[in-house]
Amino acid sequence: MLGKSFKIIEPKRFDLYIEDIHCKTDEAIIRIDYGAICKADLRYYLGARDKRTLGFKYPMSLLHEAVGTIVLNKTNKYKTGDKVVLIPNIIPNENDKCLNCVCENPQLGENYCPNAKFASSNSDGFGREYVNYPVTHLIKIPSNLEYRIAIFSELISVAIAAYRRIQLQGNETIAIWGDGILGYILCCVLQVIHKEGKIIAVGKHENKIKQFPADKHYLTGNGSIKSENIDVAYECVGGDSSGNAINESVDNIKVGGKIVLTGVAENYIGVNTRKILEKGIAIYGVTRSSVADFQKAIQLFRDEQFRLWISRLILDEIYIENIGDYYNAFEMELKNSKLGKYILHFNL
Amino acid sequence: MNIGIILAGGTGSRMGNMDKPKQFIDIYGKPIIIYTLEVFDNHPEIDYIAVVCLQEYMDYMKILLRKYEINKVKWLIEGGATRQESVYNAIKFISKDLNDDDILVIHDSVRPLVSYKIISNNIFNAKEFGATDTVVPSSDTIIKSFDGVEIHEVPNRSELFIGQTPQSFKLGLIKKAHEAAIEKNKLNATDDCQLVLDLGHKVRLVMGEKLNFKITSFDDLLLLKAIIKLGKTEMI
Repeated sequence: MLGKSFKIIEPKRFDLYIEDIHCKTDEAIIRIDYGAICKADLRYYLGARDKRTLGFKYPMSLLHEAVGTIVLNKTNKYKTGDKVVLIPNIIPNENDKCLNCVCENPQLGENYCPNAKFASSNSDGFGREYVNYPVTHLIKIPSNLEYRIAIFSELISVAIAAYRRIQLQGNETIAIWGDGILGYILCCVLQVIHKEGKIIAVGKHENKIKQFPADKHYLTGNGSIKSENIDVAYECVGGDSSGNAINESVDNIKVGGKIVLTGVAENYIGVNTRKILEKGIAIYGVTRSSVADFQKAIQLFRDEQFRLWISRLILDEIYIENIGDYYNAFEMELKNSKLGKYILHFNL
Repeated sequence: MNIGIILAGGTGSRMGNMDKPKQFIDIYGKPIIIYTLEVFDNHPEIDYIAVVCLQEYMDYMKILLRKYEINKVKWLIEGGATRQESVYNAIKFISKDLNDDDILVIHDSVRPLVSYKIISNNIFNAKEFGATDTVVPSSDTIIKSFDGVEIHEVPNRSELFIGQTPQSFKLGLIKKAHEAAIEKNKLNATDDCQLVLDLGHKVRLVMGEKLNFKITSFDDLLLLKAIIKLGKTEMI
């Protein structure tokens, strides 16, 4: 069937495309109802990547956080009208076996497969009217969950993937560096699944960090952070500032501690390797999430307090009825300095 | 219930020498009418579809419906000599299975770029007001000339809209409008809204889209092909 899509073709320029969407036997066609813009989308929108990379990416539909309604289903897994979350990470299977043998590793998983396709990164994203998608990469949204909140499933799944990246006993003191949306969501996730341990939030902006449901809040540079005996630190800053956050966590973490990096920095950043060596610190990288992480994310919404925390992240709903509205949504998200996101309500 | 009525009773073609009605012309492996039917078939608010087509194309239509897995078509109805007659044939044929408050969403088969939103807005407004017409504001100045030689009037553009389809109605209302027109011997209306207006009933406007254009000429066909082809650009 024919459907509209908005593709970024050069910095700050979207074009409207009409595409014929085909539903394969293992797929469903989903009408996108809600989407959200992430930092990676903004980088493509602004053209804030090197020219060669952009040359390979454009034209491309953006957005990898989306929920929609099944309009056509070639399998028995879903019914027409079912509301689903779309999982942006798809691995190419050859006889159902992972080509890189990382999928079965519980601390890695399919999100580390180098051949994986990721929506709005190396394949088209969900900034479209209709998407044909493998049913294995859709998760049904329970009817008792407020539909638009499910848009945060992707970020929640990323937080869950960051948590499972290292083996934890459940009673460790965990510190989160970064007062952005991923740090906030990780803090909410940890409060639900890491109940026995203390959660500390460290950030630059007091008005933001105070909103985190953490056990203790610190502004960066506070000398008392060290007294917390931090076992694990999560860096959720990204960009050029991530160097400062990593170094501060290195300074304050216990000997033998673990640091998990989640933020993307376009440029090389300097870290204090002497201290990392002296303290015997282990550093882990995490990216994206797996189908199982999404399933857990949906389960976490059963917790009423968790739902309430997440719902606070919705700044406003922007109706997308044409390409002008879409531009407006990107411009608004660019200017957004609050803790939260605009939700794009598609009605094309 | 909401019923899509797809008008595919047109004959012949003005596109080259093809002896095939334009709704059956193939665009990148799929007939135009199938693109149109897919939008209705996959629209959750549409319960059933009636296709009005020429007697000699009935079997071909059935084959296409099977081939492209269009599942909501409940009625295949023979078209009439005029648009008005085709619509009335459909109304008569399906009335026995429906109630007067059911909504008919009447659409040209050769407007394949009708959107989900236009159909939803038609249904919503037809339920609320009984009759709707899909329109777009006129961006060109419309010139009135009685002889095609001289201008006789330049109407105010802000008051002018271009009519599209769907046009949507409560079944009871559109049936009454058609019967009243036949009684008055008005037999060649090109637009169902005219007939409803003749009854003294108001018709609500629903905003359409420029993309929802009608394929009537070779130029339109070229435009549709170009629009769809652009979407085929893929990354390597």
